[in-house]
Amino acid sequence: MSSKNRDESDVRIATAPHQHDFPYDREEEAQVTRREFCNFLGLTSAALFIGSAGFAGKAAIDARSTQAFTPAKIEGAEALAPGTSLNFRYPTEKDSAILVRSLDGSYHAFGQKCTHLSCPVYFERAHQRLECPCHEGAFDARTGDVLYGPPPRPLDRLELELRENGEVWATGRVPGSNERSI
Amino acid sequence: MQNAPSKASSIHGHVRKGRAAVAQARLILLVMINVAQLWVLAATVEAALAHQFAVLLPLVIASGICFVITLTLIFWWRPSSRRFTSSGYLKR
Repeated sequence: MSSKNRDESDVRIATAPHQHDFPYDREEEAQVTRREFCNFLGLTSAALFIGSAGFAGKAAIDARSTQAFTPAKIEGAEALAPGTSLNFRYPTEKDSAILVRSLDGSYHAFGQKCTHLSCPVYFERAHQRLECPCHEGAFDARTGDVLYGPPPRPLDRLELELRENGEVWATGRVPGSNERSI
Repeated sequence: MQNAPSKASSIHGHVRKGRAAVAQARLILLVMINVAQLWVLAATVEAALAHQFAVLLPLVIASGICFVITLTLIFWWRPSSRRFTSSGYLKR
């Protein structure tokens, strides 16, 4: 008799008084019963429903809330050469943004999150446009409008202010949306 | 007389097989509802990121309906051949 079988036999002897109350074999304990699988599917369904409701609720609350923006200087913007870009953070340290200086010298700034699935966009110098590397979407570097690809709406636009000595300040953030009302 | 027990056992076997088939069909239905809910969740995420707020509520309602159907299938559904119903009623 192998040691495994002997162990099992010992367990059977030790648990014999309880076999009437819990009549399960050890092998069967590892199997998933139909009832357990049903319960798992039920819990999955509940989780998916809560996830949908939670995500929709958060999006709706975020859209309704009005945020006050504090003007902030964009460091290094005055030295930015035409046709190049600069990454910075605004309005909070968590919000990455991109400042683009067009070939004509004008400044444009956008939130860096792609409006498709939130990948960070980058400035593609050769074509003078903002591109998303995840799903090949592209945005106009002057307006933030979608040029092609899966993004459903324009990039969030940052309001800029030119101050003395060529300083560039970010003063606000406007969601790039095709649908404003909620 | 000798055929009676084997006939009864044959009928019992058919009922058991049929009941198992229906239970498996219920499981498949639950899995399909889960897949549909997963699709609704993906659509909700995309709609929220796209700021298409008008479609959020219908999507949440659709997910809720799927959840209610799941609960119905798990808690209130029983094979019609079963003697005891969920309310404890004993069929004659």
